[in-house]
Amino acid sequence: MAELVHQPTDAPAQIDEKKKQKLLELVRGRAVARPTDLADDEVMVWPSLVVIEAVSATIFLAIMVFLSVMVNAPLLEMADPNKTPNPAKAPWYFLNLQEMLLHMDPALAGIIVPSVALIMIAAIPYIDRSPLGVGILGTSTKGRKIIWFTTVFTIVVETGLILLDEASGRTGFWLKTLFNDWGLPEWSSGMVMPTIVIGIFIAALVVAVKKIFNPTTRELIIALYTGFFVSYWFLAIIGTSFRGPGQDLILPWNLPLVHH
Amino acid sequence: MRREQTLADRISGSALWRSVVRHGYPDTQRNQALIIASNVFLHIHPVKIKRYATKVTYTFCLGGLSFFMFLVLVMTGVLLMFYYVPSTDLAYQSMKDIEGSVTFGQLMRNMHRWAAQGMVIAVFLHMGRVFYTGSYKPPREFNWVIGVLLLVVTFLLSFTGYLLPWDQLAYWAVTVGANIGGATPIIGPQVSRVLLGDFQIGQNTLIRFYTLHVIFLPLVAAFLMAVHFWRIRKDGGISGPL
Repeated sequence: MAELVHQPTDAPAQIDEKKKQKLLELVRGRAVARPTDLADDEVMVWPSLVVIEAVSATIFLAIMVFLSVMVNAPLLEMADPNKTPNPAKAPWYFLNLQEMLLHMDPALAGIIVPSVALIMIAAIPYIDRSPLGVGILGTSTKGRKIIWFTTVFTIVVETGLILLDEASGRTGFWLKTLFNDWGLPEWSSGMVMPTIVIGIFIAALVVAVKKIFNPTTRELIIALYTGFFVSYWFLAIIGTSFRGPGQDLILPWNLPLVHH
Repeated sequence: MRREQTLADRISGSALWRSVVRHGYPDTQRNQALIIASNVFLHIHPVKIKRYATKVTYTFCLGGLSFFMFLVLVMTGVLLMFYYVPSTDLAYQSMKDIEGSVTFGQLMRNMHRWAAQGMVIAVFLHMGRVFYTGSYKPPREFNWVIGVLLLVVTFLLSFTGYLLPWDQLAYWAVTVGANIGGATPIIGPQVSRVLLGDFQIGQNTLIRFYTLHVIFLPLVAAFLMAVHFWRIRKDGGISGPL
């Protein structure tokens, strides 16, 4: 702007031939778009969206009422601090944490792992910023294959780890006893070893996905998120349906009736 | 030729009607726009949206269902509050009363219970849908973070409500949960005290959980939901293929 203002007035204005434009025509029309102007890929919210909302709300309310008529919410005998039930279980959505509690230090299982997981999940959009794949379930064919691969990987690994730790009498694959014999502190087997084991398997997942699929950042994050998502449900199901008295592994149909 | 005025015409033409409803029958685009824009509840929506945003198999209505279940929980929760007494002596008996002698009490309690479980599932699956469709990507990063906070609030709402029936299931589930909280590194004992209001679960814990459950956390959730929904619009509606 400064150059324009200080341009000497006596010099004739130069016309840049490349930038010269000519007026083609004048069109009579509206100057502003109106709220009711619909593009080809647009629909009116009333009725197109509100109908879906009303129908799904109605169907869902009907299901909700039907379920509530058929199945009563549980109410056991009055709370008694002197009568510990066996097993005592958290609400099902925390049973994944309770499951981890069996295998490692409570601070690690109950606080550190979930906090780190939530913070990392919240950070995802600040790590993966490429707009590729928005609006497509699983991003790509490769992305969807990675979801399946990670699901199987997670279930196999976690089943293996749980069975192995059960076989060792929940002593962290016999390491707890070994570390005690060596005179190492409690946290070495409760905190350090499980962290290393978790780290190793997350690293193994990353390496496997990288080797097999040659993924983009987004596809690698799909693998990690799927690992979290599947672990959440898988461990919750183990905790809910496969843990009996003494938190021993048990088949769902052998559970005490209260926890069905 | 003028059509004869029906009763419906007279009602919808009356000063009273027109003072409440400021638009005509929504069979024209203008009225369809007005019905959304002039209604405080509907105007959370824009007047028009992209066609892909109405595809049910894209969202599976999961976000909407989470919100809908929140509304069911508020409704049934308020009704339950008329009868429930948050005292260690009376809580269990008031549960029995709700189930045994209050008209539709058992139904309200069941709906509250199942909607609470359903909301945890719906919120979690909603997060999955948003992740797998890449809908957290710019410009929606911050709304994703709000969503993670809403997941945490949903867990807390469900967990604080779990204690209120004051039966064995409630008491020992919250004992397990509180023990997890008490295992927090460094500040474990303090976290446990703040959570329980005592050294063990008792009257202080019950009133604490009750207050959090019926007023504090619902307000936090409502506040975050307001931001969440507002941001959807500000970030250009729900995500779709580019």
